[in-house]
Amino acid sequence: MEKKMFRQYLTLVIPGLIIFTIGIIVPLTLSVRYSVTSWDGMSVEKPFVGLQNYINLFKDKEFLDAFWFTIKFTIGNTIIQNVLALLFAVALDSGIRAQKIYRTALFVPCLISALIVGFVWLKMFSNVLPEINKIFGTKINFLLFGSSETVLGGLLIANNWQWVGYWMLIYLAGLQSVPADLHEAAKVDGANAVQRFFHVTVPMLAPSITICVVGITTGSLKVYDLLVSSTKGGPGRASTSMIYQTYITAINGRQYGYGSAMTVTLVLMLLLVAMLQVNSLRKKEVQM
Amino acid sequence: MKKKMLCTCMAAAMAVSSLSGFAMTASAEDEAVTLTVLAGQSTTDAGIEDMIDEALAKVYPNITLEWECVDWGNDFQPKMQQYMQSGLPDIMIGKAQDVATYAPQGILAEIDSQYLDAGLDAARENVTIDGKTYGLVYNALYQGVYYNKDMFAENGWEIPKTIDELQAIIDDCKAKGITPFASHMVDTWSIGNVTMQFMMNDVFNNDPTWGDKFRAGEVSFSTDEAAQTAYQYNKLIYDNTYEDTFSLEQTDCDARMVLGEAAMKVSGSWSIQNFLAIDENFNFGIFPFPNQTGDSKLIFEPNITIMTSASTEHQDAVNKVLEVLTTDKDLAVEIYDYTNTAAMLKDVTPTFPNPSQEDIDKYAADGMIVDVTLGNNQLVWGGFQEENAKDIAAWLMGDATFEDALAASDGRVDASSAS
Repeated sequence: MEKKMFRQYLTLVIPGLIIFTIGIIVPLTLSVRYSVTSWDGMSVEKPFVGLQNYINLFKDKEFLDAFWFTIKFTIGNTIIQNVLALLFAVALDSGIRAQKIYRTALFVPCLISALIVGFVWLKMFSNVLPEINKIFGTKINFLLFGSSETVLGGLLIANNWQWVGYWMLIYLAGLQSVPADLHEAAKVDGANAVQRFFHVTVPMLAPSITICVVGITTGSLKVYDLLVSSTKGGPGRASTSMIYQTYITAINGRQYGYGSAMTVTLVLMLLLVAMLQVNSLRKKEVQM
Repeated sequence: MKKKMLCTCMAAAMAVSSLSGFAMTASAEDEAVTLTVLAGQSTTDAGIEDMIDEALAKVYPNITLEWECVDWGNDFQPKMQQYMQSGLPDIMIGKAQDVATYAPQGILAEIDSQYLDAGLDAARENVTIDGKTYGLVYNALYQGVYYNKDMFAENGWEIPKTIDELQAIIDDCKAKGITPFASHMVDTWSIGNVTMQFMMNDVFNNDPTWGDKFRAGEVSFSTDEAAQTAYQYNKLIYDNTYEDTFSLEQTDCDARMVLGEAAMKVSGSWSIQNFLAIDENFNFGIFPFPNQTGDSKLIFEPNITIMTSASTEHQDAVNKVLEVLTTDKDLAVEIYDYTNTAAMLKDVTPTFPNPSQEDIDKYAADGMIVDVTLGNNQLVWGGFQEENAKDIAAWLMGDATFEDALAASDGRVDASSAS
């Protein structure tokens, strides 16, 4: 019986394991191997340089700038997207009229490719919104992608517009699974709406918060496609993310080895951040 | 009788064998072949693949081209790197400067002289390495300062040859409320492009091996005055263009130029499509961006350059495609008219209205035209020029100093060469 179970287990696991190995493990292993070479991506020779690429990373101003941009983008996204998604979820869970329409309207942007979203917001900031100034005679600066001081704000608007609806659905599902009697009991104990939200709803939503925080953080650390169609990492280098910098270094700059070192560093960073977040957030989850 | 029978048999055998031979040849010719094509296209080129397919189908219906069209600036090099690992397409269409990048890797086939002879000699030099030509240059773009001819005539402005003369026009423009230059710096490539135009006239025209000296440590951006001057011209443009240039795309920028909001635009033939699409009567000319010595030349860039794989299994079919491209003059004119570009085939003249053609002819007659492939081979686009452009943009916006931008270019010296 145990043997049969084991065979069934293998039958289910092996296809996934093969795909995972070919798609993730092999490329990652190759990346690690290339990261200790100065390979240009074209030549047959792959000269071994040891850890030099990793040492150079920490002296590379362009990489450090890309790192800081990615961190700022990630922090901004994680805070704004979680807060907005939770607020929208609470609003839609409160029994307002036409909530299905609102839910659909908020969710639809996440069905669009990030490339299209980038292009749409480039046009919005450059062509559509400035028309408002012409119509009303106002002087609002809508050219957010045109300056290094405002480009981060513009990208946060575009990214949040796309993804808030998606995370809102996760919070909404979490809210709908909170037992009503907990709220009733808190009410009987004299808790007002705000107290009930922070002392009943939020603790019960902890699993959803874990999913959303980790998902938004790792997604933001990997931002690339939004930038390709909107700012192309500019103006100048003001919105170049780590992945974007990796791509232009490895492919356009023909420094495949150095680019691989960037990739390995990013993967380690993603793992570390995800582990820290999951560990700290899991401790706060309430077990029913 | 025996002799007669023998002769008849031999004649019959010969007839049968030649017929069967003919049949074999015919079947080989008719054998369906699919050639893969990687086309790195400029903004002007999208759509020419249908024209080539149509022309090829008329002559060689058995040959099918399987196109993969990508943006040359962003995607051609990544695709080539990918295919160098997995196997090259049969035909690759890029720019002349790609030959210097890929031919030394031994992956390109030499182009047969029967096809090369159909083209102008002017562009052959920069696609020839060690006496072997690896690229067939099909068309060319001109680069310089496009100007509104009517506006120049109305204001009595002469074509400037020196920076002082250009500055006088800029000052007059500003006094009259005209934006001197149209520009779209949201596209960082446009900064890289104009910087190479400046470098050609102030650096490479005087020292064609400046890039080699740069790599040898004999010159640098931080120490070379001419190179610094070329970078500084970007500031001249930035100070005299639209405030929203870092939010403005090419189409909108070209539209403003056509609508008379700006007097000049440092650009290339790729703007002509937009100019004429917005107003087919727009009257524009072109002159080279003035340099310090007043002898700047109009720049031409061999654009569509056909390269073939050294390891193709269908060399005959590839040659037939080259044959169609070099002998079908109707196809050539159709492509030149569609892309609004100049012919690089002998005895083929585009028929699209090009008000700047008389300027081009004048500079050509005076020998004041230079091939930008020289500069692009000395300092490559991918990984060097396009990265420098980002630093120049950062400097223009005040996020970095001029010295930072120069130092960044110097620090990128290892990426400045294709080999």
